[in-house]
Amino acid sequence: MNALQTYNLSKQFAHLQALDNINLAVPKGSIFGFLGPNGSGKSTLIKILTGLIAPTNGTFSVFEKQSSEGYKVRENMSALVDRADFYKNLSAYDNLMLMARLSNHDSAQNIDEILNLVGLYQRRHDKVKTFSQGMKQRLGIGQALLPDPKLLILDEPTTGLDPLGMVEVRDFILKIAKERNVTIFLSSHLLHEVEEICSHVGLIFNGKMENQGSIETIFSSIDQVTIDLEIDKKPETVKILSTLEGIESIQELPNLLKIKIKYAEIPTLIQKLVKDDIKIFGISQRNRLETFFLNRSRDQS
Amino acid sequence: MMVGLFKNEVKKLYSHWRSFMGYILFLVLIPIIMWAYGKGADGIPSAFPENYSDLFLFTGKLNNGLTAAYFVLNFFWVHIPFLIALVGGDIFAGEEAQGTYRIYLTRAVPRWKIFVSKVLASFFYTFTIVVLFIIMTLGLGLIWHGSGDMVVFHEGMLILPQSEALYRFFLAYIFAFSNMLLVNIIALFFSTMVKNSIGPMVGTMAVIIFFLALTSLPLDVFDSIRPYLFTHYFDNWKIMFYDPIPWGKVVQSMLVISGHSIILLFAAFYIFNRKDIVS
Repeated sequence: MNALQTYNLSKQFAHLQALDNINLAVPKGSIFGFLGPNGSGKSTLIKILTGLIAPTNGTFSVFEKQSSEGYKVRENMSALVDRADFYKNLSAYDNLMLMARLSNHDSAQNIDEILNLVGLYQRRHDKVKTFSQGMKQRLGIGQALLPDPKLLILDEPTTGLDPLGMVEVRDFILKIAKERNVTIFLSSHLLHEVEEICSHVGLIFNGKMENQGSIETIFSSIDQVTIDLEIDKKPETVKILSTLEGIESIQELPNLLKIKIKYAEIPTLIQKLVKDDIKIFGISQRNRLETFFLNRSRDQS
Repeated sequence: MMVGLFKNEVKKLYSHWRSFMGYILFLVLIPIIMWAYGKGADGIPSAFPENYSDLFLFTGKLNNGLTAAYFVLNFFWVHIPFLIALVGGDIFAGEEAQGTYRIYLTRAVPRWKIFVSKVLASFFYTFTIVVLFIIMTLGLGLIWHGSGDMVVFHEGMLILPQSEALYRFFLAYIFAFSNMLLVNIIALFFSTMVKNSIGPMVGTMAVIIFFLALTSLPLDVFDSIRPYLFTHYFDNWKIMFYDPIPWGKVVQSMLVISGHSIILLFAAFYIFNRKDIVS
């Protein structure tokens, strides 16, 4: 069963085709990473799903409730769209109370529980205008969790956060997915973030879906990767590597070698270098999803 | 659900400092006017006998709380719309400016309910402003200056006994309230169209000033359109003090005011319901 399914969803803004026949399937229980460059249509799709804008064509369903049922399609879902903005002159508690009333989940106990969950209970009576962006993002996720949704839509939830805040939000997403059994639809352009936490991904380019599936499926289609190799004898190493199969290019940088290689040949490369007494100080692979994404971007351009 | 939504809107409305400006203004300014009225009241009764001293013998107190309330009402009916527009203009546009639509409209609540709750909250504000105005004019006037018969000048001089005057005030305030609701609806209408609160406020006042100009310019060319302009009836609360009350005019005024209100309210709903929240 799919938590979310779209059927030929399209949106036209004046002369811009923002979305073009999007067919997307988000499996129940997954953390689905929705990837695309800026302006590719990610936010437009999310705004359609959350009722902020109307599609030009197409429909969608959330846990088998159809979009033709109007606002009822959103009964099982909740969202944090873009940056978390609140009523700045109200406290965290009051803001959550406003949101809770929209779904009849306005018991003080429920609100306190959410505030505890997002780590803002101690600051519950402080006005939101005194909060950092990271705290607002956490409160944003908190307000989305108030109606106890089965599907949580998060649109670039780590945007504007410092590295610590990013880690916090990522850990939090994993925690709620596990503890609350929520399907998460996560839009992002941070590929490492998606690779770290998502079980499924979908790629959108210029308003069109390019790929979607489990992350293993996507990775299995990645043939070549780029690795950075930190060794002691660079000229000798280049000679050795040039005799190996599966290497497309070797780029010498001041401190390392950048090698484009078939994914399956990486163990052979390591074995060969060790055998030839080359000291390896470090080997790192560029994020695989990033490689895939960049390749697709190049294909597109 | 509707009660919850209404509570939300009232909470949001009163989270802004500007929402209290109207109340503060009335609480501060009207007592000053009442005080000044008391101080300057000696001049006002002497103005009556100048014209009528040969015809009438005045006994008792003509400068009383009722006359004071009438005096303040005459003065304020052009200023209250500004206060109403200040708050009404922010009801929809403020959400878009703050980016809060992105959380508020994504819930499983139909937009019409949110629209109705916002309209009701702004009506509530208008109602409280008018009620405070009544308390501060009529209530404070009666406490400060006492009661008595009320003098109204219209095609001569009309003296209304106290009980009759209070009834006339009641009708006048209802009429003034319906006018203020229309101002509120104009502000709401503009508020659904833009992304900042200043635009609807300026737009509302511009519309009122524009139509007031058309209403008051003594040019024949505007005669045919005047009866259809809501501003033509803006100061018609005064006719509630005529004797007899011209009910035909009252009905015509109410029809034009309510016609404008209903059309603008539906237009505002149409815009809000179809609005794409892209920011």
